[in-house]
Amino acid sequence: MAYIYTLPMIFSAFGALLCLVRRTYFEEVVSVIVSLATIVAAVATIFLPNFSNTFLYVDGLSKIMLIVISIVYTSTVIFSTTYMKYMENPLFEKNFYYLLMNVFAFTMFFTVSVNSFGMMWIGVEATTVTSALLVATENNESAIEATWRYIVVVSSGLIISLLSNVFIYASIHTLSFSNIMSMHITHADRILLLGTMMAVIGYGTKAGIFPMHTWLPDVHGKAPAPVSAIFSGVLLPVALYVVARVLQAVPVGPLKEFSFVLGFLTVSIAASLMVVQKYYKRLFAYSTMENMGMVLIGLSLGKYAFIGAIVLITSHAFAKSSAFFLSGNILAKYKSRKIEDVKGIFKRMPFTGYTLMFSSMAVTGTPPFGTFVGEMMIIYGILKNFPLFYALALTSFLALAFISVNSKVGKMVFSESSEKVMERKRVGRSIPIINIALAFLMIFLIPQIEELLSKGMVK
Amino acid sequence: MRIALSVLQLLYVLLLSPLIFGILAKFEERIESKKGPSVFQPYHTLLKLFKKQSVIPESSSPLFHMTPYVTFTLYTFLTLVLPMITAFPLEFGPTVDFIGGGLTFGAAALLKKIASLDSRSNYSHLGASRAASMGALSEPITVLIFIMLGVISKTNNPYIINNVLQTSSSWYLSLTHWFVAAAFFMVLLIETGKLPIEHSTTTEVGMIDQAMDMEYSGADLAFSEWGGYVKKFLLMSVFINVYTVPFFVPMKYDLGAILLYMIIHFLKLMGLVFIIGLFEESVSKFRFFKNFDYIAISFSLAFLSFLAFYTTKGSF
Amino acid sequence: MEKIFTLVGFFEILLVLFMQWEVYTKKIITTFSIASYTIAAFLLYIGIVEKEYLVITLAIITAVVRGFFIPWFMKRSIVKDPWREREIRPTLSTAFSILMSLFIVVFAYVLYRITIYSSVQLSAGSIPIALILQGAFLMVSRRNAFIQLIGYMIMENAIFLFEGYIFPGLPFIVEAGIVLDLIGIVAVAGIVVKMMKNSTSDLNESDELRG
Repeated sequence: MAYIYTLPMIFSAFGALLCLVRRTYFEEVVSVIVSLATIVAAVATIFLPNFSNTFLYVDGLSKIMLIVISIVYTSTVIFSTTYMKYMENPLFEKNFYYLLMNVFAFTMFFTVSVNSFGMMWIGVEATTVTSALLVATENNESAIEATWRYIVVVSSGLIISLLSNVFIYASIHTLSFSNIMSMHITHADRILLLGTMMAVIGYGTKAGIFPMHTWLPDVHGKAPAPVSAIFSGVLLPVALYVVARVLQAVPVGPLKEFSFVLGFLTVSIAASLMVVQKYYKRLFAYSTMENMGMVLIGLSLGKYAFIGAIVLITSHAFAKSSAFFLSGNILAKYKSRKIEDVKGIFKRMPFTGYTLMFSSMAVTGTPPFGTFVGEMMIIYGILKNFPLFYALALTSFLALAFISVNSKVGKMVFSESSEKVMERKRVGRSIPIINIALAFLMIFLIPQIEELLSKGMVK
Repeated sequence: MRIALSVLQLLYVLLLSPLIFGILAKFEERIESKKGPSVFQPYHTLLKLFKKQSVIPESSSPLFHMTPYVTFTLYTFLTLVLPMITAFPLEFGPTVDFIGGGLTFGAAALLKKIASLDSRSNYSHLGASRAASMGALSEPITVLIFIMLGVISKTNNPYIINNVLQTSSSWYLSLTHWFVAAAFFMVLLIETGKLPIEHSTTTEVGMIDQAMDMEYSGADLAFSEWGGYVKKFLLMSVFINVYTVPFFVPMKYDLGAILLYMIIHFLKLMGLVFIIGLFEESVSKFRFFKNFDYIAISFSLAFLSFLAFYTTKGSF
Repeated sequence: MEKIFTLVGFFEILLVLFMQWEVYTKKIITTFSIASYTIAAFLLYIGIVEKEYLVITLAIITAVVRGFFIPWFMKRSIVKDPWREREIRPTLSTAFSILMSLFIVVFAYVLYRITIYSSVQLSAGSIPIALILQGAFLMVSRRNAFIQLIGYMIMENAIFLFEGYIFPGLPFIVEAGIVLDLIGIVAVAGIVVKMMKNSTSDLNESDELRG
């Protein structure tokens, strides 16, 4: 029975192995097939009960993460098949790129389905190992520099969370999540509290949470578009998944307040920095940071806000990956990362223009999309738990983010340009549209998400 | 009796201090495979200077002429109060404690700086300003070292510190003590003008203390130099007797033991001189501004001893 | 045992201070190698005394990977690319960074005393925390990629000290995974450092990576 929960991992690892075969287009075909297979396997799990043994722990939250990861992974692989053509001087052969991408997906599947915090740490650190070279794919000086910052900052942040594992183990003598859950901890001693706080900071580094977020805009700005998309869409939520597990296992007051403060600071800093951005990929990176801050707030509040956070994770994953795919398309055509250099997308690349406008609205939480519902649920949670001031302050930061993203994207899309149309029919054009549609469709799936989180399966 | 011992100690320090530096010079030359001067060369130099006439800059005030004698007196006074050949206080021992000794050293250094400013010579000014900027940073380290010794012995009497370290092996082997000793060694190199801080050559680029003596001549210079030898001798003796090898120092009155210890002490100093000589031959001079990094490290050592004391609670 | 731990710990702190003092990359690498060997020897001693085979494994890994292999690899690449030999412009002046590093040690001590000392009752427990923070500071205060990598590995060493002595006994599979990952990250970092070849040695800010 257990094997079915490991199918996503098995498929992606198998795909990685097949990528070693050197034949033209073989690695692309294989990667697309295995990624589609992971979607099937992940969706299949939601009709099965929760499962836990010493190694695996798969409940509703893990299942949602599995599905989100597999969908974004699939769309990234499909998008890569066109995007790789635009890369002038890639760092390595195409099959090595797909190999790394599959291993990267494997490590993320691994992280969300293992039982022990130690294994989760291993998974998160392994995502760094496997994805670092992906960031440097474009092989120019600043991409390598960004990779270096990624490795240095993230791995030192993860050292903190490794220390947190040591502390948690020292305090309660187990790292297994199911064991800790069965202990029903309501009061944490100092070592446990310190350990869990360090976990929030450490994994928060990977998720772009405030004190150590500095790598995030550099990497998202410099990585190739599909890599930015998968980073922003699922890698960061995977790190927050571990934080969510910590918060579920040790639901004590000080830890929740600590996470709330970090989340709040992240949102405020990201929103303020968004105003001054000159490069569109960095702009989206800060928007990701703002969303991750919101998710952390939701996770810290629990109850409805927790569900809101999960809804936000899912719909943001689709919307943001779409936004980054589109930014890749724009970069390929306009050859510039600056907002001011990109004019009249609406005229020159009509499909891309419309989709970009929609996705920028989606990532900032505009009504028809799932992100809006998620953010509303989180704000409702804040109103219930804290004085009105906090909710108002947070909402104004969200508004600031909304204005700066949409006005800048609007300038790119709707400005005048006399040059000719240059969009071509490629699979890379339709992938973002599917993703943005998924971000919208999320609002119909909220009851199922709620059911999955509370019961663990859909009947 | 104690007066007689005091006089003995005074004569011992005043007469032997040039010899130590003669030995150091000879040793370093030997390492460089040169023949080197006689070990008695400092005595010849001093005698020669005493025979010569003093020349004083026209623009200077009487202070300039007085300073070598005053500083020499101050160092002589220190000779009487620090533990050199005995581990029990002699006649003048109770007059000052460690802080007082430090202040006396400071007073002598200050007088030298003022006098060198008084000489109105550019080179002396250069030396004075360098010495002042180094001193401003190394003095706090010295104070920290004294405080740490005070923590160890609960007093700031050098004799008691010597007794504590001589008798208690747990203190002697403690991290606290060795950090202090290491910090003091680094300060010692600064104060005695050794590499990597200062090089005793005639190039003015690296001069610190030497530059301050630039305008002296004749007997003035002789006293200034002799005072310098005494000062370095005292510091090295304190380093040995109080910080690193406080053993064999006679703790009660016994003339035979004291006379024997005079020889042992000289041998200890020779050992230190060999270490310093080897050190000087293996490092090169820092640029002047890198000296502050060096000072920062020695400050760190002194401070780490503080931390080591709290970490181990002295029970190491 | 605690005495030896304190001794080793202060020695490590001192070595990191020396690394802050040094300008030449090669000397820093040698100092780091000495630090790793010291920790390895200490862990080996614990492992033999307490018959913990896991700790012996940690010791061997520390000695082989961080004591020997990585320093050797770095020194070899320095011979190939002489521009990596020294730090040209550190972000902070040397004396200031030495004092900051010292201040960090004091800070770690205070932090340790007010947070977990009451439940651990080990007065030297602040040393690994101090080492972690010092390693992080070494990374921040230098621009040379090799030195930053060394700062990271100092943090790793400190973690090993934590696991080996203060809170021993993580499950073996976790331990093994951690070690694999740490080796992986250092390997990837090595590749990236190698790719920085033709640019300048010190990581410079390009305009786009700001704000």
